[in-house]
Amino acid sequence: MTSNKIETRIALALALPAVSGLLIFNYYPIVQSFIYSFFDLDFTTDWLNAPFIGLQNYAAVMASDQFWYTFLFTTGFTIVAVTLDISLGMAFALATFYVPKSMRGILRAFIIVPWAIPKVIQASMWRWMLNSDVGPIGDLLVRIGLVDEPPLFLAERVLAMGSIVAAYTWKGASIAAFFLMGGLALIPGEVRESAIVDGASSIRRFFSITLPIVMPTVFVALLYRSQDALRVFDVVYGLTGGGPGTSTDTLSSFAYNAYFRFAQFGRASTYAVVTFILIGAVGTFYISRVRRNFSFKE
Amino acid sequence: MNRKQREIRHKILSIIIVAVIGTWCLAPLAWIFVTSIKPLGTEYRIPVEYWPDQPTLENYRTVLGERFRIQRSILNSVIVSSGSVIGTLTLATLSAYAIARLKFKYRFHTLYMMQIAGMIPPIVVIAPTFVMMRSLGLLRTYWAMILPNMVYALPLSSFLIASYFANVPFELEDAAKIDGAGTFRTIFRIVLPIAAPGIFSAGVLAFLGSWGEFMLANTVSIGSAAVETVPVAIQSLSRAFNLQWAWVAAGTMVTITPILIAVLIFQRVVVTGLSAGGVK
Repeated sequence: MTSNKIETRIALALALPAVSGLLIFNYYPIVQSFIYSFFDLDFTTDWLNAPFIGLQNYAAVMASDQFWYTFLFTTGFTIVAVTLDISLGMAFALATFYVPKSMRGILRAFIIVPWAIPKVIQASMWRWMLNSDVGPIGDLLVRIGLVDEPPLFLAERVLAMGSIVAAYTWKGASIAAFFLMGGLALIPGEVRESAIVDGASSIRRFFSITLPIVMPTVFVALLYRSQDALRVFDVVYGLTGGGPGTSTDTLSSFAYNAYFRFAQFGRASTYAVVTFILIGAVGTFYISRVRRNFSFKE
Repeated sequence: MNRKQREIRHKILSIIIVAVIGTWCLAPLAWIFVTSIKPLGTEYRIPVEYWPDQPTLENYRTVLGERFRIQRSILNSVIVSSGSVIGTLTLATLSAYAIARLKFKYRFHTLYMMQIAGMIPPIVVIAPTFVMMRSLGLLRTYWAMILPNMVYALPLSSFLIASYFANVPFELEDAAKIDGAGTFRTIFRIVLPIAAPGIFSAGVLAFLGSWGEFMLANTVSIGSAAVETVPVAIQSLSRAFNLQWAWVAAGTMVTITPILIAVLIFQRVVVTGLSAGGVK
């Protein structure tokens, strides 16, 4: 046996456990979800004994207003939330380089706090913050005279949508910030300092010097954050539960209820598959862009 | 403007910036803390009280007491997350070594398989995973969370570890072999120590990932308090006791404090991993 063959065998043996894991808990379930989506599966997951209905689930889903509403809400949410994530994250990241060294540690510690809290707990915290009777946000808005009555943040459709974006961005901005700090750290110190010292033109310098250098990082951050936003579940489930009605349901939260509350496995799988395709499209775009950057490529 | 003035202006602006960002990041937490020390029932008092008249620790006693024993969810989370991390690191280190240091036919297939797996939305795997766990009789057990979480963390972990492996010069490995060290000795003495920071950082991120995981934990624990992790426990507490928010707040404080402390301690590691791998 040549040494090359031996090396291949060793490598496959080393990769095998991980690959098996991926096959069992990632790839097999995806295939199974596709299969579910071709069957009429109400109150059962026994697809072998269920009627095969081809693309009828897809046809029914495509014909329903609910699907298109949820689809548009999910993508619209993604665009708004990711824009906010990246802008705020960039502001935070720039701030950590702007403040003197003595404050840098505490600022980073602040920024990491939202990141450390599990998303669904964060959602319940925001539910309490946005409580229309005794929530501090509504109360402060009344006190500074912006509104007469505390707004019904979670009961009115548009406000509920905004609330989800706010709660999502609370954590998202922190994630984006740490991501972008990595990019900003690559900028030579002199360039950054010269941009900082001259206060008047610092905005122009940001767009003409800093941004072009960190653009690759921003690009990657955009894609990661959009993939995360497209599959958003925890924040919706914990904050509004999709309500009022189903007006703030995303593809994931709608599918989850269809699965585990209404036991419509076929229809729910259709939503899940659509979510997967959407995220896959973004991912394919991403892989084709950054493939050359894998550091351990030959 | 002279130098001194400029420095003062810079300092004042910095303090304002830190204060604004600090408020944004800490306000929800601060409000939960204030609520948690309000006597039960007064959290719904109008006008809103920003500091209770009579701060109390009674709510903490309640959530830690016989009725809720919220600390059990912390133990459950520790078991689930530690179990997952041990599995993840073992599988990820082995496969990362193959990907980064060995030339083999299916190297890029493996790499792509990992990267694509990292993009799979939980909703598309949740139902079959639930059915699988039901058939295996693993519902309401730690295994139903440990096994999938162990795999969910693989793509990021093996990516992080592989990039550290890739930085170990091949000459170093060859030199060790020439000196008479066997393959395993070389790996344990030379390669692993160099990759240790990557492995550690992957471990911390994998731990936090499965600590915060909700959809799977919620689905497979089906209301069994004996295995409920922290996110599931707090979510159900906050839904069931919507009118006793002082309890919910105390429960939240108790369960997030350990992880907040851990994250602040491992801040540097977390940040390195975050900017290197991009994280959910």
